[in-house]
Amino acid sequence: MMAMLERVQSLLPWAVAAWLLGIGLYAILTSRHYVHLIGCLSVVQASTYVLLLAAGYRHNARAPIFYTHAPSVAVDPVVQALVLTDIVIGATVTALLLALVLQLHKRRGTLDPEKLRPMRS
Amino acid sequence: MTPRVRIAVFALAVLCLLPAFAHVAWHMPPFGAHPLPYGDAINAAGTRERHVTNMISAVNFDYRGFDTLGEEFMLLCAVTGTSILLRGNRGERVDAPQQVPGRPIRDRSDGVVLIARLIGPVTILFGLYVILHAMTTPGGGFQGGVIVASGTLLVFLGEGYRGWRRLMRSKLLDGCEGLGATLYALCGFASMLAGLPFLQNMLPLGEVKDLFSGGLMLLENLGVGMAVAGGFAVLFLEFLEETRVASDGDEEESGG
Repeated sequence: MMAMLERVQSLLPWAVAAWLLGIGLYAILTSRHYVHLIGCLSVVQASTYVLLLAAGYRHNARAPIFYTHAPSVAVDPVVQALVLTDIVIGATVTALLLALVLQLHKRRGTLDPEKLRPMRS
Repeated sequence: MTPRVRIAVFALAVLCLLPAFAHVAWHMPPFGAHPLPYGDAINAAGTRERHVTNMISAVNFDYRGFDTLGEEFMLLCAVTGTSILLRGNRGERVDAPQQVPGRPIRDRSDGVVLIARLIGPVTILFGLYVILHAMTTPGGGFQGGVIVASGTLLVFLGEGYRGWRRLMRSKLLDGCEGLGATLYALCGFASMLAGLPFLQNMLPLGEVKDLFSGGLMLLENLGVGMAVAGGFAVLFLEFLEETRVASDGDEEESGG
């Protein structure tokens, strides 16, 4: 019984990552405003943070910084470096998308994806 | 494709992928006990081989330094794209504060000015501290650069648009962004000039736990810090300039 419970517990991080990915994609599909859509894209991206950090996590381990203690068992520094750059790049890409949205609003006067069919104009 | 059909397709895709996801998740090693051979190898070797105590910086700037070069140029591309998109209508010549008609500059409360003046410089200083301590304690160019750029927004809160714009010259920020990325790439070529592989750490590594340990990583970290701080400051500048109307000599708005 306990073993089963632990098994289910260790599913949780993957479930959270999958949920964030799914809910973000669903919101992108049903979005009626491009700024909202970019926010949803950030949610999708957050699922990669959860996935990577969960993959590198280890119980009873330290942070991979050995300033005050000698090198010992620590969590994975590779995924932490990945997430770190991921966050910074994500922020600039969000800015790029928001700039696109600004120009779109100037030219077309609306930000509803349903009203912005490329074939119709 | 109507929204209803789109959701039906999405639901179908989820239904197809869900069993595969469940299968993979069920067969993952128990959470918190994954075998992490690559991370363990770096944790064991990093301090000995590279004389730094922050393994995340060691991964970013040395063991996987080439990946960071790619990320650096992604950052540069995103910031350049944003600048091009937003500067298109505004023109590049104007590099001074402009008054927007019909948008009076209201006096801010003294409390806001006081707090922003107290916290702004401290935030920028803290960002520089975080950039400098990349090799020893948590920090690095990516984190510190964002903190420095955020500090400049506090200057905007405290001094208002005009004061902030006198400090933020787009030529200076563009230079900071571009030179940072260039410095990183040049570090790689410097290794090649010395007859070593690209980005091989060939400078003296220094003492463990010293602020200036890590050799070539120090220069790469400085380059990333400059590029990130400059890049985010350019983004803030471009978006805030959007509140300004086009002045003489700017391209006409082409509505359409």
